[in-house]
Amino acid sequence: MPQTKLSIRIDGELVQAFAGETILTVARRAGRFIPTLCHFEGLRDVGACRLCIVEVSGSGRLLPACTTPAQDGMAVTTVSPRLAAYRRMTLELLLAERNHLCAVCVSNSNCELQALATAMGVTSVRFRYRYPKLPVDLSHPRFVLDHNRCILCSRCIRVCADVEGAHVWDMMSRGVGARVISDMNRPWGEAPGCTGCGKCVQACPTGALAEKGLAVEEMTKRGERALQGAIRQGGRL
Amino acid sequence: MNSLTSSLPTNKGPRPDSRERDFVDETITRRSGRPGALLGILEDVQEHAEGKYLCLDTLAYIAQRTGTPLSQIFSVVTFYSLFSLTPQGEHIISICRGTACHTRGSRDLLEKLRLELGMAEGDGQADKLTITSADGKFTIRTVACFGQCAMAPVVEVDHRICGHMNERVLTREVEALHQEKAR
Repeated sequence: MPQTKLSIRIDGELVQAFAGETILTVARRAGRFIPTLCHFEGLRDVGACRLCIVEVSGSGRLLPACTTPAQDGMAVTTVSPRLAAYRRMTLELLLAERNHLCAVCVSNSNCELQALATAMGVTSVRFRYRYPKLPVDLSHPRFVLDHNRCILCSRCIRVCADVEGAHVWDMMSRGVGARVISDMNRPWGEAPGCTGCGKCVQACPTGALAEKGLAVEEMTKRGERALQGAIRQGGRL
Repeated sequence: MNSLTSSLPTNKGPRPDSRERDFVDETITRRSGRPGALLGILEDVQEHAEGKYLCLDTLAYIAQRTGTPLSQIFSVVTFYSLFSLTPQGEHIISICRGTACHTRGSRDLLEKLRLELGMAEGDGQADKLTITSADGKFTIRTVACFGQCAMAPVVEVDHRICGHMNERVLTREVEALHQEKAR
């Protein structure tokens, strides 16, 4: 069945889209930059990070580009002072929620959160840091999970459940108590379902999931393209 | 990370025992095939279980029987405050602390009930509170909203919604529950 073609406007420019595509897909194809953290090429989108919010004319609300389907005649704004203010606030809240101490993080200078904060000029956070006392799970033989760096984007959960098919990860509780868990909140190393494939580590945008034995700045992730290759081949990373 | 899990009651004797397993199996058969069946299964099993809670071994059993990943079942159970991972009292009284009920004096109701049942202050979180009396007869919970704001203040006694609650009626409800037990 041929795909229905749609025309939408992105920042005034007329772009072609196909029915079922999200605003994010269309905008990226048209060369627009929309910041994202929970979006990961090849995974289903959940709209968790709220950084990809855009303005859609006719709607007073800001809509997440990653989960809003493109509609014929839609006019989307991806850059505006209002969007910048909200995106910045979202980033600041993410930074204030956990202990994101870049200077001692394995992913320093290879971190999507840090990169976005730098790109968006977030040099200070106006909210009081929560400084939660969160544990670090070192039980896995090859990997480490540091909740202090986690932004709850759920990329690890989705890649494990939908690509690897193991569903070792999920999200416990909600609100400020939400936490990524393996199995029934047991140590990761004890999860019988974990295949040790490392997809979650590669999908993690921050230093929350990393390989063991690395020092500051040493955890470089192979990113979406490497993961895509691995997914296609069904192999390990 | 595992402070929650390790502090939870685990295997004290064989649980789920064969009777509980039968009940789980029967519930799964009755409810399966419908989307969102897991919620109903968990609710029925919790209501049936001794101590009205879901212990980890029972959850593992349900996960195994329904083919649900362990992490997902734990996620569901911790997301909905309806589910409890620790033993609850025989009678569960939920007091609404939503805005409408608050303005109609639900804080006083909570305080009255707490004193009447001789319960401690409970956990510090003001917005969400669960306390069980020492004798295991009563559990008081606070909830955000029942959606019955026109009947504020609302108290739920053993899954029965009671609107326009006041301290006198609440005391009577508690007495009735005490007597019901005595009979």
